[in-house]
Amino acid sequence: MTEVVERSRVRADAPGERRQVRVRAPGEPRRVAYLYLAPAFLFYLLFAFGPLVYTTWLSFFDWDGLTVGEWVGIENYRKVLEDPDIRASFVHSFELIFFYAVLPVVLGLALASVITHGRVRGVTFFRAVLFLPQTVATVVVAIAWVWIYAPDGPLNKALDAVGLSGISRGWLGDFNFALPALGLVGTWVMFGLCLVLFLAGIQKIPYSLYEAARVDGAGRLREFFAVTLPGLRGELAVALTLTTIMALRTFDLIYVSTNGGPGTSTTVPSVLVYQNAFVNGRVGLAAAVAVVLTALIFVVAFAITRLVDRDPSR
Amino acid sequence: MPVALAIAVAGCGGTPGEDKPKDQAAGTPADQVKTDGFEDLGPVTLNVVSSEGSGGPREAIKTLTKQFEEKYPNVTVKVSYRDFPSWIKQVKLAAASDSPPDVFAGNQGYQVDGELVKAGLILPLDQYAKAYGWTDSFTPETLQQFEWSDDGKTFGEGTLWGVAQTGQSTGVFANLAKLREAGIDPASLKTFDDFDAALAKLRKTLPADEPVIALGNKDQYGAIHMWGMVQGAYTPAQDVRDWIFQKDGATFDSPGNLESLEKIKEWADKGYLGKGDSFNARDDAEAASAFGKGEGAFMLGGNWNASIAKDGLGEDAGFFNMPPGESGDTAAIGSASVPIHISAKTKQPDLAAAYLDFITGPDAGQAFVDNQLVPAVTDTTAEPGDPLGKEVKAGWDQLVKDGGLTLYPDWSSPTMLQTMGQTFQEMLAGRMSPQDVIDRTQKDWEEYHQQLAGS
Repeated sequence: MTEVVERSRVRADAPGERRQVRVRAPGEPRRVAYLYLAPAFLFYLLFAFGPLVYTTWLSFFDWDGLTVGEWVGIENYRKVLEDPDIRASFVHSFELIFFYAVLPVVLGLALASVITHGRVRGVTFFRAVLFLPQTVATVVVAIAWVWIYAPDGPLNKALDAVGLSGISRGWLGDFNFALPALGLVGTWVMFGLCLVLFLAGIQKIPYSLYEAARVDGAGRLREFFAVTLPGLRGELAVALTLTTIMALRTFDLIYVSTNGGPGTSTTVPSVLVYQNAFVNGRVGLAAAVAVVLTALIFVVAFAITRLVDRDPSR
Repeated sequence: MPVALAIAVAGCGGTPGEDKPKDQAAGTPADQVKTDGFEDLGPVTLNVVSSEGSGGPREAIKTLTKQFEEKYPNVTVKVSYRDFPSWIKQVKLAAASDSPPDVFAGNQGYQVDGELVKAGLILPLDQYAKAYGWTDSFTPETLQQFEWSDDGKTFGEGTLWGVAQTGQSTGVFANLAKLREAGIDPASLKTFDDFDAALAKLRKTLPADEPVIALGNKDQYGAIHMWGMVQGAYTPAQDVRDWIFQKDGATFDSPGNLESLEKIKEWADKGYLGKGDSFNARDDAEAASAFGKGEGAFMLGGNWNASIAKDGLGEDAGFFNMPPGESGDTAAIGSASVPIHISAKTKQPDLAAAYLDFITGPDAGQAFVDNQLVPAVTDTTAEPGDPLGKEVKAGWDQLVKDGGLTLYPDWSSPTMLQTMGQTFQEMLAGRMSPQDVIDRTQKDWEEYHQQLAGS
């Protein structure tokens, strides 16, 4: 019954389409499309592009945020390049990329391929649980992990219980461990996203490819590199882009858990933007850091898409 | 992030800040200020932001606000309680917004008050000081902390811009039970060296993983407060204050400061502050609550934590000033509590001033002593009833008598809290030498000194 209805609808539409074809080639842009784009574009202009331009403008001033600012040209950018603390904050960001992007992607790939080929019971359940951190507000994540990492928190209690009290410590107060500790929180959050992306991606790789690989005598590892990895190129690009951007712009986790401390060991550019703009009254410098950070994110995101999402067969 | 930043400052075109001329914002109360008759205003609301987020100070403000509303039933006072570290980061933005709170807490020094004055965001209070007799109630040393030149450059003299509620000094909280166990009589600690020796003794008697001094330095000021009373044993208090007020020729680079920094580094190295750097992983309030639960023999910090210590330790909570160094005079970080300001944009300046007087004046004293706090005014009859409250008050009185309140070092420049906070953490973790801390701190001071002199 439904089939008949569908078919008759197609037939009814057909004359109209034929008329369209006569006027313009299929897919040729129509001017009215701009009208549909306009609301989103205006919104973008107002809330993304406008503030970006204004931030750039501010970055050329020495301004305390309250009284009249003073034009200083590129002085703030010179500071961004020369100040060792600001430079260190960018280095911290790149360290975070390892924890936010590289580690979750590697783990996600490994687990995704195991899950697809092994007979794991309750996959849906595990997938949901592993994805859960993504759905929790970062502030909540931060507070939970501050508690886990606390000097008398569960992590240290567990270490003490198994006789490893020698390495227990206030993790977030330790100069060497604070940044990796926060990074692992990032791994925990991002891992689920990567896994879900890759699992979905593997579904659409034709099973015949795996059969062919097996007929050719490929082992599990060979099969992974020859079939799974190339098939996931698109998902890989998406996962890497998302997680890398998250690593570079992370703010709430660090603000809530360490506020850049101890010392400056977990200071990242976004925290510096906040501190300088709202605490220290150096809005111009904060704007300059923000502009550099934005530019950096653009470059890195662009580079990832170019490197990973390029299909050599095309 | 850039988006958030820009939205926050959006609305200004051209040179940032240009469309907010100072004169327009800096309202001055009329010559004739009203101190009564607020019953006839009809229903009116005062919005207040307090930075007393916890413990005794918060309770005191709650009580006093309720009493004010009972006095003027037509007035509703809406108080939002914020914790101090987060409020000082927002106060400038909140004050500059189109609908700022009528009454709000600031912070002494160039980072907050200096900027608020410079931008004309708060009302000068000289008229009200005269009308309410604040100049008689508060000591000149207290009022000095709220006095600024109108351009916000000279600190410690000029117009009055705020008043405070309590006297806040830092000293030694002791867990008397633990001292008894170790055979230490707190009354025998006459000099700083006695105290230092007691620490060494306690390190041997207390379990190895328990700190002798409960410290929380995650928010980067706990260690500064602790150090301030060690500094007091080595450096004359007047030198410290001159430096904070940005007096010409003042310097942080003195033998006394170096010795005091070396001393607290030694404490960290000897494990007095607990295992590893764990003190850097918790904040001041967490440390106070741990001390209340029996951790450590001492807590070197602010008397505003007295009610937390008392609630936790009861009879076993003791308080005394850090025993003096060679000079024999006690000296420690301390000042009036944070200033309470009236917004330049308030529609009810007279009512706001009446509220200010009500929550700080002589009659407010009882609410403070009930919460183990020391009233900032000197003409209150309220006396603390409990032993700890008496000790806290005695500590404050002694510091006032010795001229030993060294204020807070972070008042000295807008970026000093961050500079000292970070370098102290680095030093206590053994990543920076005491001399490096001095160099970095003095560099920050000098940069701001030049800026003040320059423009």
